[in-house]
This record gives sequence, C-alpha cells and structure tokens, in this order.
Amino acid sequence: MTPPEATTTTAPPLRNPADAELDAGPPRASGRRGVLGTIAKYAKIFRVSLIERMTYRGDFLFGTILRFLPIVTTILLWKAIYESSGQVELGGFHYREMIAYLLLTNISRMFSSMPGLAGGIAREVREGTLKRYLIQPLDLVGFLLSSRVAHKVAYITMSFLPYALLFYLCRGYFDAFPDALTLAAYAVSLVLSFMVGFFFEVSVGMVGFWFLEVTSLLYIVMTLNFFISGHMLPLDLLPEPWSTLLKILPFQYMAYFPAVVFLGKIRGWQLVLHLGLELLWAVGFMALARVLYRAGLKRYSAYGG
Amino acid sequence: MVAVVSKYVRMIGYLARYTLARELAFRGNFLVKVSVELLWLGILIAFYKTVFARTSHIADWSEPQYFFFVGCFFALNGLIETLFLENCNEFAELVRTGDLDFLLLKPIDEQFLVSCRRIDWGSAPNLLMGAILMATALVQAGWVFDPVRVGAFFLTFTCGVAIAYSFMLLLTSVSVWMVRNQSLMEMWWLFSSLARYPREIFSGRWAEPLGQFFTFFIPILLVSNVPANVMVRALEPAMVGLTVVAAVVLLWVSRRFFLVALRSYRSASS
Repeated sequence: MTPPEATTTTAPPLRNPADAELDAGPPRASGRRGVLGTIAKYAKIFRVSLIERMTYRGDFLFGTILRFLPIVTTILLWKAIYESSGQVELGGFHYREMIAYLLLTNISRMFSSMPGLAGGIAREVREGTLKRYLIQPLDLVGFLLSSRVAHKVAYITMSFLPYALLFYLCRGYFDAFPDALTLAAYAVSLVLSFMVGFFFEVSVGMVGFWFLEVTSLLYIVMTLNFFISGHMLPLDLLPEPWSTLLKILPFQYMAYFPAVVFLGKIRGWQLVLHLGLELLWAVGFMALARVLYRAGLKRYSAYGG
Repeated sequence: MVAVVSKYVRMIGYLARYTLARELAFRGNFLVKVSVELLWLGILIAFYKTVFARTSHIADWSEPQYFFFVGCFFALNGLIETLFLENCNEFAELVRTGDLDFLLLKPIDEQFLVSCRRIDWGSAPNLLMGAILMATALVQAGWVFDPVRVGAFFLTFTCGVAIAYSFMLLLTSVSVWMVRNQSLMEMWWLFSSLARYPREIFSGRWAEPLGQFFTFFIPILLVSNVPANVMVRALEPAMVGLTVVAAVVLLWVSRRFFLVALRSYRSASS
C-alpha cells in the first residue's frame, strides 16, 4: 500500500467563490476598487476556507493521535538500525541527529504537501466548472493559493499542540536550539517549500488541460516524491550518483532541505546559495503554472453545465 | 449452515466476477494502479538496500530474513486491500449520506455487505509481488523446505489477515458515531505502520511495554511478525497458538462492535 497522499486531510472539493460571498455576509467589498478590494476579496475566501477546515474537530483529533504511531515505529526502527550496525555515524548523521531529521521532515511536509490540489484543478477542467474563473473577476491560481494558505494555517494551528508535545517529548534528540539566524533561514526555507510544493502541484494539475485524467500521473509523482524528497531517509545516505542527483532536483526542498537547515548542516554561503536556488525553483514553477494555464485556456472548451 | 455458507461463497464469486469486469473496462487505470504499487515496492527495496549497505542485521533479522518479512507484510496488506479496504473506506460515506439504508434492507448479512461488496482487483497483484519477494528472500537465505513451517506459515498468515480485518472493521465502525472527514485509508496506513516492522525493534525502557501491549492487548504486532518468524526464524508453537486465539477472539469482538455501531445508526435520508 502506498502512503496516502497526505500529512493532512484531503482538501474538500473547490467551492464556488460565489458561495464564499454569500457565507461572508453582505458583499461589502463589491464597491471597493484597486488593491484594497482585491485583498478584501481574497481575505474573505481565506475566512470561509478556515471555517470549513474547522468542521471536523473530533475526527481531526483522533487522526492526530494515530499520526503518532508511525513516528514511534520510525524512531524504533532507526534505533535498531544504529544498534545493529555498531556504527556511531551513518551518512554523516548520528543516531540522535537522524531522529531529529526524520521528525523535522514531518514539519517540512506539513508545509510542502498539497493533498487534493492538482486533482481539484484537473476536475475543474474536466467538469467545465473552470469557466467561473473566466467570467468572474477572480484568478484561479490566486483563489487556490489563498484557500490553500487557509488550509495550511488551520492545519498548522490545530497541529501545533500535538507537535509541540511531540517535540517536547523528543527534545533529547536535539542538541541545542538553533541560533536566531539559522531559525530565520529555516522559516524562510519552510515558506519557500510551501511555494515550491504549491506551484509544482498546480503545474501538475494544469496538465489536465491536455490529459483529462491526471490522477495516475499524480500517484506516480507523489509516490516517488516520498523517497526522492528525503522524507524516508536523508539523501546523504544514498550511494553516489543518486545522492548528488537528488540534491540537484527541486524535490529535496519539500522535505530534506528545511530539515538540514534546522540541524545546522548547511551554513554560510552554501545556505544562501541553496535558499536562492529554492526561491528560483518556486519562481520557476510559478512561471510554469502560469504558462501552462495560459496555454491550457486556449484549448479549453468548457464542457458541462 | 452448509447452505448458508455455500450461498455466501457463491455470492463472493459473483461479486468478484462483476468487479473484475468493471475493472477491466478501465484497463489503463488498472495498469497504472499496479505500476504505482510496483514503484512503491521498488522504493521499499531501495530503502532497505540502502540501510543494509551499512549494517548486516536489523534487530537480529539478517537481510534475507528481513526482506522475507517485508514481502510477507506487502502480500498480507495487499490481500486486505483487495478484499476489504475500499469497502470499509466507503462505509463512512454511506453513513453520512444515509445510503446505508439500502444495504440494511437487503436479506444479506450487513457485515458481509459492508466489508465484502467489492473486490479491488488493482491491489490483487500486491499479493503476487509480495510472494515473489518472499520467494527471492528464501532462496537468498538458503532456506530448506520444511512442511511444518510452511503449514504454520499459511495458518498464521490467514490468522494475520483475520486480525487485520478485525481491526479495520473496528476502525470502520467508529465512523457511525464520528463524522469522518479523513479517509479510512489514511487511518489504516497510520495504524498498520505498527505491523510494518519486526516486533524486535520494540526494545528499551519505554518501548518494551509498548511492544507487549501491541502483542497481547491490541495484538496488531502478531499480524506479519508471526508468519515471517515461523518461516525464516524460530518456530514457536506458543506464538502460533496465540495468533490463532487472537484471530478468533478479535473476529468475534469486531463483529459484536460492528452490530452495536449499527444499532446507533440513524438514517440520514428523508
């Protein structure tokens, strides 16, 4: 069984932005123009998505408890691996560093995984509901971005306590709290990992303009991503040339890179260079998503009601 | 009794044929499903090969023994997915929409209908992939044929499936009370992670009691550990006995629990 495409619950199907207006009370923003009006519009989408995310609290809590199980078994597996190997260091990681790394990849994935995003876009194309973005003053990518940010804010807020507890219990695996500069770089790398994850997945979703069914492509990408992003083990452990090759690809920014930044394994100019590269990938995927969207709209023929 | 059993066996045959016909209508999708599973198995093998490049053992399991274990879990979980997972996954939706009414009205056992309605043929090749991995591991380990071990393996493998099914049914039943937004698939993935590794990794001050708890109280650790153990490591009659007893008890408990859950079901339709 492949790992479910999530560290979060599946996003609900995209709603009609017009509903958002109805839920959010009288459309006060309609009279406003310019930047303020735009901000108010997307803030409303954000608010509605947030309310939607908070509906299933009990289920979320139960899921969170279950989510601890793989963390426990992973810690025990690596403990057994280190004890059996009789070595202190594997691929440049001590045992405690390794556990800290694997815990941190969960945080990276919390930012970079986008359950349901590409599938949602492909569904909009297939069912013809995409046309509402063409006739309303609303940008598809902008709408998706603001609702996804809300989704993440809700998820991270609700996960904060369980994760805080987890990291408190596992504090022994961390040598020391990183300095302010490392922490700032870590925060930047996480935000950028969200951007890389988001625009990469939007780009995959845009493929739906050419192939009506992208689910299969998505499954393969997501399954591969689990390994090549460094979620299962640090990329340094892999033999050459794989280790170098996977560090060139953008997938490492979705799990591996933020974790090693936190652990202080990348410092100085190396860190600046990699953050620059991460930004470049994010901007690159953003541009790719735009280009594919433009080209896709030329082919789009709005089937459905 | 015989008539009832044969009726249900016949019904499974019909359902299997019907779902196979449906699956083969979308052959491309079927092939993609299989290739994704194959890719996942490849990733698992790559992961453990990477680990075994740096150690000869993991928790007293040698490399071929460990790969036999991985194959055993892969096959067992594949069988569970083929027969039950998709059906149980839909149960929450049936409760939420009230469509469960239509199943309750049929003159067929509710548990059978809820958990065996469809066969997910896309996961069926996992059983074969797991078997191939197990066979390869046996050859590498220089395993000598022993009918007692093979018999014990098939017995405990069957019991492992029964135990896993019972836990899945328990997880499924909870959705009558809890409005569910998370899929059972994900819940199952998280819960079954306990059975994904050898029991011997549960060592140490706090992990040992946890291992005991998941062996004797919530015996999910018996699922793939015992069959792999009897085949390539020590054949312990006590563990085989425990697995058989656990399977029988859990099948009974999960059925009772499912029926209690059904009594709490309030139709959501008009």
